[in-house]
Amino acid sequence: MRIRRRGMHRQMHQRIDHLVETGARALARRTSRRSLLARLGAVIVGTAGTAAFPLLPVARAAENDSRLPAPSDAGLAPDVGDPTHCTYWRHCAIDGFLCACCGGSQSACPPGTEMSPVTWIGTCRHPGDGKDYVISYNDCCGQTLCLRCRCTRTEGEKPVYYTSKNNDLLWCFGTKSRAVHCSVAVVLGVATKS
Amino acid sequence: MPAGALLLALAPGAASAVSGPELDYTLECAGCHRADGSGTPGSVPALRDSVARFLAVPEGRDYLARVPGAAQAPLDDAALAALLNWMLAHFDDAHVPAGFTPYTAREVGQLRARPLVDVEGTRKQLLERAAQATSR
Repeated sequence: MRIRRRGMHRQMHQRIDHLVETGARALARRTSRRSLLARLGAVIVGTAGTAAFPLLPVARAAENDSRLPAPSDAGLAPDVGDPTHCTYWRHCAIDGFLCACCGGSQSACPPGTEMSPVTWIGTCRHPGDGKDYVISYNDCCGQTLCLRCRCTRTEGEKPVYYTSKNNDLLWCFGTKSRAVHCSVAVVLGVATKS
Repeated sequence: MPAGALLLALAPGAASAVSGPELDYTLECAGCHRADGSGTPGSVPALRDSVARFLAVPEGRDYLARVPGAAQAPLDDAALAALLNWMLAHFDDAHVPAGFTPYTAREVGQLRARPLVDVEGTRKQLLERAAQATSR
């Protein structure tokens, strides 16, 4: 009797093991670790966004972007209005990996990186309103190269002897790390003729 | 900040307008010295509450137009003179000496034609002399 009961227990354990294993394998097939991290990160960031304290490093330029509202991208052609595309209007003079593809956005660095306070600045014309906007290209520093959404555009760029106007340089100056991860394009204002 | 500028900055959907010397500063200088002139300690000198101290000695006035960032900026002499005058008033009005004569295009043109060889050494020496001149 006792032997039989032990056998039943073993069978039950094996069945539970099998169920858990099948479930875990099915979950692993349907999802990736990256998507889990992304969802988890979104929940954490979303929660922190409404809290009084910042969970992630808050970058100066990103603050500028919210203080000086950027023009609306609604109604633009899909690629010209999409920050994950190289053809996005703000990227007219960017050289690097787009932070919007690397866990950040067009104006905010991904978590775990620090926005360089030293930048290069140019202008890009918004295809919707035809105005020239002053854009700051800040590198996000502190992690290895993102390697997603490489983009090189050179509108208004000058040769390297104009260092402040050249985007071939790594712009991780004034940051704890010189390792560049990705680049953002922050709207600083709209350029007008005096 | 003037009230008009504040209204522009707060207007939804409209980035604040930048023009004239302020636009030139934003495009040619702010990448390193930052929009508020605070610089980056150890990398880029601050302009805010500091830049007009150079005016306490005559060579300091020259220095501001000869320093590479100014002299080599892709701006004509008139635009560079206007930028320097705007920068002094905007970032460090308190240190601008009484009776200061604004830079002219002609003066700036002559100054930027003389390359500054030892930038850091000259800067250090000028700030020491300026400090002595103002403490007398």
